[in-house]
Amino acid sequence: MSNYTNSPCAACKFLRRKCTSDCVFAPYFPPEEPTKFANVHRIFGASNVSKILHEVAPHQREDAVNSLAYEAEARLNDPVYGCVGAISVLQRQVLRLQRELEETNADLMRYASCLGSETTSAYGGRRG
Amino acid sequence: MSNTKNIHKGLLERFLDLLLIALIIFMTLKGGTSGACAACKYQRRRCAADCPLAPYFPAEQPKLFQNVHRLFGVRSIVKILEKLDETQKPEAMKSIIFQSYVRDRSPVYGCLGVTQQLQYMIWLAEEELKAVNSQLQLYRSQPQNGQNQNQNHNNHNQMIHELGGDNKQQEDVTSQQLDLGMGLNVHNNQSNVVTPFFSPLLPVSETQQPQMSYTYSCSEVNNNGYSPPAYNTDSGKEILTNNNNVWGGQNRFLYNVNNGGGFSNQNESCHEMKSNNGVMAIQSQLVNLQMASNHQQVEEDEDAHEYDEIHQFLEIIDDRQSFADSKEAYASSSGGSLKEQIDEIGENELRSAATCFSLTSMN
Repeated sequence: MSNYTNSPCAACKFLRRKCTSDCVFAPYFPPEEPTKFANVHRIFGASNVSKILHEVAPHQREDAVNSLAYEAEARLNDPVYGCVGAISVLQRQVLRLQRELEETNADLMRYASCLGSETTSAYGGRRG
Repeated sequence: MSNTKNIHKGLLERFLDLLLIALIIFMTLKGGTSGACAACKYQRRRCAADCPLAPYFPAEQPKLFQNVHRLFGVRSIVKILEKLDETQKPEAMKSIIFQSYVRDRSPVYGCLGVTQQLQYMIWLAEEELKAVNSQLQLYRSQPQNGQNQNQNHNNHNQMIHELGGDNKQQEDVTSQQLDLGMGLNVHNNQSNVVTPFFSPLLPVSETQQPQMSYTYSCSEVNNNGYSPPAYNTDSGKEILTNNNNVWGGQNRFLYNVNNGGGFSNQNESCHEMKSNNGVMAIQSQLVNLQMASNHQQVEEDEDAHEYDEIHQFLEIIDDRQSFADSKEAYASSSGGSLKEQIDEIGENELRSAATCFSLTSMN
């Protein structure tokens, strides 16, 4: 954890304040990744991020920060759709695959039912 | 004389009371309908005629703005809107509202969790498709060998089961609403199934049946609920290729595994999964490869359908009735009835691509 004797975290560097030992951002915004905090701050704001971090459990904060960083970068790259564009693309893909799976399963069932009738008739023939 | 005075005084007081009541009613009506938008109401300020947020946050949907305010903040929203054209603003606000809603429902993973889960579902579907296709090939190549086909069919059933469900479950997956509330029962005891995205599926506690159920309350919504636009943006695909490579490939996201559907147990179940070593970590490089190979196929289909779907989405979002109707569904979301509500929604939801969610008032 950064404090003022060590290198301040990226958040405190960006905000130009002293990085104390209990800085909430320090574990998740290392000084080597200044862009990460810059993006998150631009889109969400430091205070919102801080509130979100306080609302989640400590062991989940890293994941929360990473997901926020992802969303922030997505929003910067695409101010209109952000990360929702990717979700939409994926959903369409899921739909397409589901349709294809249905059709293929239907084909398979047709083959299986044909096989079933052949096997039954063959077995019945042998018995009879 | 004094009686007359008293009578006049009483009448005057009554008149003043009536005037006051009329004024209060007028102010209430003003604030409740054509008055302040949800954003200005929340901030307790006068809603100007040119309020930039008023078109997107109706007064009867305060929760919408609360979610957005919690995640983005007013200043950030206004800054985003200022940089956009007039035609782009409604779309941007819809995506922002959706993103905020998702974050409200899933405070840790937000939209990234949705993305990851969709990727996993795609992988599952592709694996199953490969298995089914290989089985079909066998059938086609040996049409006269009845005995072999019977055996192969049994093998196929076993394979399907191993991949995560029997036929009944497959039907459930395909028939239920294909929104972000798709649920898959993954029986996590198949150690021979190794996914490219995850570490080998480790058995969870025997008492626990992990259920990959990312059921938003969006699935509770009525048929006219809010759907995300069918975005076909280059940046959307770019995001997919860059997914999980954002910060040095160290992103390891836990799937949100719920046992009862809904997000109420999200944090708890994640914690349980961790403690039971049932953690599935996503490998970013494999995700990128997977996504890159899928993009080209998706692109052709998307171009044809994008325009129609965006228009459909615009019609849906303009239907204010949907917000009012979905209130009841949203209110009942905290229970375990999400799956039942998913099942009720029909094929139309499939066509409208999927993410419907309820934007309702919590008041």
